[in-house]
Amino acid sequence: MPASRLTGALTLLAAVSLAASARAVARDTSYALLPAHSSLTYTFTQAGAANQGRFNTFTVRFDPTAGRLAVTVEMRSFDTGDSQRNRILAGKDFFDVARYPQARFTASRLIRTATGYRAVGALTLRGVTRTVAVPFTWRIADIGGRHVGLLTGRTTIRRLDFGIGRGQWRSTEWLGNAVTLHYALQLVPGH
Amino acid sequence: MSQLLHWLIVALIAVQVTLGLIGLELPLGMEKLATLARHKSIGLTILALAAIRLLWRWLNPTPALPDNLTAIERFLARCTHAGLYALLFALPLTGWIMSSARGFPVSWFNLVQLPNLVSRSDALYHAMIEVHAALAIALGLMLALHIAGALRHHFLLKDDTLRRMLPGRATAAARCGLAADSSRNSC
Repeated sequence: MPASRLTGALTLLAAVSLAASARAVARDTSYALLPAHSSLTYTFTQAGAANQGRFNTFTVRFDPTAGRLAVTVEMRSFDTGDSQRNRILAGKDFFDVARYPQARFTASRLIRTATGYRAVGALTLRGVTRTVAVPFTWRIADIGGRHVGLLTGRTTIRRLDFGIGRGQWRSTEWLGNAVTLHYALQLVPGH
Repeated sequence: MSQLLHWLIVALIAVQVTLGLIGLELPLGMEKLATLARHKSIGLTILALAAIRLLWRWLNPTPALPDNLTAIERFLARCTHAGLYALLFALPLTGWIMSSARGFPVSWFNLVQLPNLVSRSDALYHAMIEVHAALAIALGLMLALHIAGALRHHFLLKDDTLRRMLPGRATAAARCGLAADSSRNSC
């Protein structure tokens, strides 16, 4: 009787520790953003010249083992370095940040490439959801004794696919359709 | 060549002033963006043409000023020409600096993107608006002097100065230019 009770206790202990270590493994494979060391910028063509903008507030969760990548961007946090232009872009004809405060990307598939991954998933921007492929390089570095994942790359989307630029701004003669997103992120294991 | 450049620049200045004034009045929007983009492209074209003309002038001596001018008149004519050249360079350059300071890179007719001349600065941008406008007014005054001088040569002094700048007289003007020293009277 004591022996079987002991076996039962050991089995329980083993199960608990296995579950705990499984949780630990799950936690270890997930990375979270270091906002101060990360940038999400975009380039677009205005009157034939490359112009830049950036998003200052966004979150990224990346789990290479589980094959998950989720990005949320606070649309109000964009900045193109010009207050007049920012006002127009924040308005209804462009981002309409009052109605669509967030943009989201959720990868449904993570395909390994030679230098990193290609995340295929749904990008929701200004209320429109489209499937996009987001390529990026991924490497682990030791920065100041810290285990840091470096996620970098760029991908080009077409603004009109997401209804960005309405009315007179549907024309692409003076404001190009292609917008290239550039991401250079630092991520650390855990939350 | 020099004559062709002269009239090309005249035509472009007329378009340029029109675009500049329209661009100034337009509300923020696509039309304003397009108008100012064209204004910048034409401004850069004028800058290039002025540079070519100056280079041409340096390689090919200009016809001498008529003999009937006093020293002061010669001085005034030289000042006006120098001033016009200075403004043909200064106006596009201050416009380019203005765009750079605003953080809007300039392109030439959507074909070539030009480098920014200065880094982003609101103070410099606002200063350049004032300078650009003042230079535009100065150009207007210089042009008035230049035209008044040309008309004076034609109607009061009754010499060939204006006529040799008119189209159809290119060969005569060139001959005069080349032969200015030996047979000035025939010009």
